[in-house]
Amino acid sequence: MSEALNAGDQPKGAYVFRLYLAGGAPNSVRAFANLYALCRKHFPGSHRIEVIDVLKEPLRALAEAILVTPTVVKLSPLPEQQIIGDLSEEEAVLRALGLPQKEHQ
Amino acid sequence: MNEKKHSAVMEKISSGIEGFDEITRGGLPLGRTTLLMGGPGSGKTVLALQTLVSATTHHGTAGIFVAFEENARRVSANGESFGWNMRALEKKQLFFIDARVRSDVIKSGSFDLTGLLAALEAKVGEMGAKVIVFDAIDVLLGLLNDPAAECRELYRLHEWLMLHALTGIFTTKVEEGQPAVSARYGFMPFMADCTVLLSQRIADRVAVRAIRVLKYRGSPHVLNEVPFVIGPAGVEIGSSNGVHPEPQPFVEKVSTGVEGLDAMLSGGIFRGTNVLITGSSGGGKSSLAGAFIEAACRRDERTLFISFDENSRDIVRDLGTMSIDLAPYLDSGLLRMEALRTEAASSEEHFMRIKRLITEQHPRCVVVDPLSALSRVGGGLAARAVAERLIYLCRNKGITVLFTSLLEGIDPRLETTTLHVSTVSDSWIQISYALLDGERNRALSIIKSRGSKHSNQLRELIFSDSGITLADPYTAGGEVLMGTLRMEKENALLIGTGNGQ
Repeated sequence: MSEALNAGDQPKGAYVFRLYLAGGAPNSVRAFANLYALCRKHFPGSHRIEVIDVLKEPLRALAEAILVTPTVVKLSPLPEQQIIGDLSEEEAVLRALGLPQKEHQ
Repeated sequence: MNEKKHSAVMEKISSGIEGFDEITRGGLPLGRTTLLMGGPGSGKTVLALQTLVSATTHHGTAGIFVAFEENARRVSANGESFGWNMRALEKKQLFFIDARVRSDVIKSGSFDLTGLLAALEAKVGEMGAKVIVFDAIDVLLGLLNDPAAECRELYRLHEWLMLHALTGIFTTKVEEGQPAVSARYGFMPFMADCTVLLSQRIADRVAVRAIRVLKYRGSPHVLNEVPFVIGPAGVEIGSSNGVHPEPQPFVEKVSTGVEGLDAMLSGGIFRGTNVLITGSSGGGKSSLAGAFIEAACRRDERTLFISFDENSRDIVRDLGTMSIDLAPYLDSGLLRMEALRTEAASSEEHFMRIKRLITEQHPRCVVVDPLSALSRVGGGLAARAVAERLIYLCRNKGITVLFTSLLEGIDPRLETTTLHVSTVSDSWIQISYALLDGERNRALSIIKSRGSKHSNQLRELIFSDSGITLADPYTAGGEVLMGTLRMEKENALLIGTGNGQ
């Protein structure tokens, strides 16, 4: 089962993420909140987050080689990038996404 | 710990490796966790996979192999190269999970193994899997990179296995020379019910593998380090010299191939026993071995001839000059000759090779020429153990064996062998040189022959193009006459009898 969260229409070059989480595990909940906040801040109106609950779709996680939860995969723009963890270390996430790292807003 | 309810016999899962089941008294603990530790290339992955393959092949147990470090396809291909039918197994009972972490992965904050466990749980349910191998668990733990988290997640994995009554096999790297239980992953052996350490050392430039069961909760096991090899069919562990049933002794005697020698041994040697021939270089040990082989083949007995560092063809040619013709028996397949190279393998590997040959050919007679070649590589102590095991192996199979051993000492009176096998040999024949009156003649004596009367005389051993003979002893003034002196004496006697007529 997957669920898509749309923030309005997606223009070209939209950021598409897939978040694998484990039900309501605390780090999964945090990962979702952190990813959502990050998208709203950096890609307002041009992002999509697809959520996959590995507890509900375990064989899909297996097929897609997801070992740990939470895991975020940036599907677009290419190249694909995998980030593991609850995204609480923002600097690492920004670096992974190629975004300016020192933003104090 | 010693309460009665704990004394129930632990159920075990056979590893499919005879020697391993022997040192663990039946295999790995069923429904428990086993930890295989070892340095890179020590054979952990092969042992884990072999156990899994054996469980699926022989017991129909479904299993999962989770590869954290190596490409799962390559692990499977490796199994195929050992002759295990991976493709057929993977259709149904065996499932590989490639759990390598992408090298470009970014870490940000906390995570855990819930994803993996959920996936495993689904797969276990789907297949009815009972055994799971986690190969290179250290790689997964390294990803967590936090001692507390590593310990927590490993326990979670362990708890999950226990909950589902699964047999878990973890492999983990330990660096050579490092203590087996490092501070970092010190909790691992405590979690496991059975901990096995695999190692690989270099002795005399030859790799020597060894395995040791460090602990086995609730089960007796062999404490010693046991050598092993990775052969063409996977891990092979020889007998740990445990208790073997004593074979029924034979009463039949077989010929040594030299008439005079048979007479000295009052009819030859007992079938199923071994005879050791020692002597210095060029003494004629191989020729006596040749005579023994020819005699065995004449009796229509399958014979295996293991030689070291000499080509089979050269041996056949050299024996041919003494009217010992092995060629027809080689052609008919009655005789099998295997020329091994001493330095190409450790003594343990040689042992396993010889054992395989014996299993394949079912010989009634075996010759190893020279057995002392084993001691040249891989450490003397190991070679000695191998020599003894070879002797026991043949004894158990009722094979009559002839070993030769080189005496390296300068003083021929020091009648010891490099492998000290003389103590386990049933018969011991010594060839020496007798320096007498400017001649060097070969002398043969029987040092021991268990269970039969034997001559205590020193005889002259004569090799000629018509064969091997033992000259009758001529003693003069308490000395054995040999060579020219003997012939003179013989002639004198002949003349003497002629005169008398």
